[in-house]
Amino acid sequence: MNWMAFTPELTYVAMAAVFLGLSMAREDHRRDFHTALVFSAVGVGVSLASAGVTADLFAESYRVDLFSQVFKVLLACGFFLVVVLCNELSGVKRRLHPEFYLLLTTSTLALMLLVSSVHLLTIYVSLELSSYSLYVLVYLRKNRPRRESTVVHYFLIGASASAVMVFGIALLYGSTRTMYAVEMARVLPSVISQPAAAIGFVMTLAGFFFKLAVFPFHFWAPEVYEGAVNQLTTYIATASKAAAIALLVRLTALGDSSAALAQVLVVLSIVTMTVGNVSAIVQKDLKRLLAYSSVAHAGYVLIGILSMNPAGYAGAVFYSAALVTLKFTCFMVLVKVAADGANITVDELAGLHKRSPILALALMLSLFGLCGIPPTIGFIGKLLVFTAAVEKGYFTLVLIAMINVVISLYYYLLVLKAAYLTEPKAGLPPLPVSAGDRLLAGTLIVLIVGIGFYPDPVIQIARSAAAVLL
Amino acid sequence: MTIYSAIFYLLAALIIATTALAITRRNLVHAVVYLVISFFGSALLFFLLGAPFLAALEVIIYAGAIMVLFLFIVMMLRIEESKRRIFPLSQWIPAAVLCVIYLGMLAVILSGIEGDMRLETAVAVPAAFSMWIFRHGWLAVEIASLILLVALIGALHIGRRPAAADKKEAQ
Repeated sequence: MNWMAFTPELTYVAMAAVFLGLSMAREDHRRDFHTALVFSAVGVGVSLASAGVTADLFAESYRVDLFSQVFKVLLACGFFLVVVLCNELSGVKRRLHPEFYLLLTTSTLALMLLVSSVHLLTIYVSLELSSYSLYVLVYLRKNRPRRESTVVHYFLIGASASAVMVFGIALLYGSTRTMYAVEMARVLPSVISQPAAAIGFVMTLAGFFFKLAVFPFHFWAPEVYEGAVNQLTTYIATASKAAAIALLVRLTALGDSSAALAQVLVVLSIVTMTVGNVSAIVQKDLKRLLAYSSVAHAGYVLIGILSMNPAGYAGAVFYSAALVTLKFTCFMVLVKVAADGANITVDELAGLHKRSPILALALMLSLFGLCGIPPTIGFIGKLLVFTAAVEKGYFTLVLIAMINVVISLYYYLLVLKAAYLTEPKAGLPPLPVSAGDRLLAGTLIVLIVGIGFYPDPVIQIARSAAAVLL
Repeated sequence: MTIYSAIFYLLAALIIATTALAITRRNLVHAVVYLVISFFGSALLFFLLGAPFLAALEVIIYAGAIMVLFLFIVMMLRIEESKRRIFPLSQWIPAAVLCVIYLGMLAVILSGIEGDMRLETAVAVPAAFSMWIFRHGWLAVEIASLILLVALIGALHIGRRPAAADKKEAQ
């Protein structure tokens, strides 16, 4: 077996083992942070180094190809950035920091396994591993009243989604007689017209609808975003979404020829983005607002996926990279403003442009990006996804999406207004922003605008990654 | 109707009846006992389909280990019998909607089947089954072991009584 192709995953297995050991050692949160930082940086390096590798591992149930490797690099970067934010991990008891990093690592490992899995059984267990890690992580926040109810809520919705997914896998296996994605791509076009196969297929996607917070599995999002530690919310909003998009693209590429499937996805996409945007308008808590904005973005991503053409898949891949960058930038500002690890309301951003100009600028650009205003990475993402849909003739769908974008503009501008125009009631001191934070914020700003101006290299990567699937 | 299909329908009816009883009992011990019977029924179904190993696992793990654990928890926690309805009316509507959706899907699936679909039964002896799972699915087995680790950590932290944890913190 070609173990070289498996090195990114092995790195995270080693990291998990180290933190399992540290959780039993003496309490030292600086040591934990630095260990996590070093390991996750190594993880990024290893993922980049193995970006061009292709291999079939574990009796063909695990495929390392350009598509999976692109997402692994994205996941490794997302994980590393979240760890960077954990410098001030004040929302978790110090004694529990090793467990926090351990579970984040197992979740990242699971997402990496997920994007490479091409066997339904492996896909299912990887998804469960990442979900279970997140359930426990949500509970680790300290001084949070009623955190049990948040976790139980999250768990019950996740378990229902898993149950639907397993039922779907059973139906799919019953009609195709295979669990391997490669085999399924061959068999599925001839049986997808049967209701059993089509219904099984949609139900199989339910597990990923849950991860991505697509209607009707989106109810956990606001509560969990609000209840989780800020750093964890960042992780849920970035890395875990990217992996869900990857799997939706990989699986939908199998059931390519089905018009019925596309119809179902059209309905889900419209309902999801509308519910997300309309609910976001009335939110006061910044994390709840971003949760509903994530729901809305799940709807936009579905537009790319349901187009079921190479442009749509490439658009979805690009969109996931854009979402990771933009959402991370938003949450970075949130984590820095809420230095004591508390939740903040939109109004508490008041006077941010005076307290820290660079964070305010980063927030502005990321919100413009989420909204899809040029020249940002978010605009290119929406452009790719929408043009792919128009190519396929989904004009009405794109029109509805555009109306949604206008609705979303309203609440993004409310946040901006708080950060730039509202004066704080009491004179607040400038935010302590270290040189490292400035560097991080500056890099993100350059990425958001830079890729907005010169998107070609990234689009090329997304295209060649999506081309592997077809 | 062959003897096999007669046994199948009998078992299916038994499973549905005992599961329905299990989820409607107020007394949790009774519910657990009904669930054990339901698991025995499913084990027999697996046996009938040619999977003796799975049948044994179902009895040993589900009917045996997990249900005994449930019984212990029920006895240890001394849960008070609630006088309220088990299903409040507000939960009936979503449950009914879900039932209708599932029944509708079932009808659509059944209507799409032309002729009869025959399931080829093959006997999977334990040795062959294990060889297969560790040759073709060992990555999944390893991931499952990680899930158990995560579940263990979760049980440790979520199950810990807050007061005890705080006392430890203070020391």
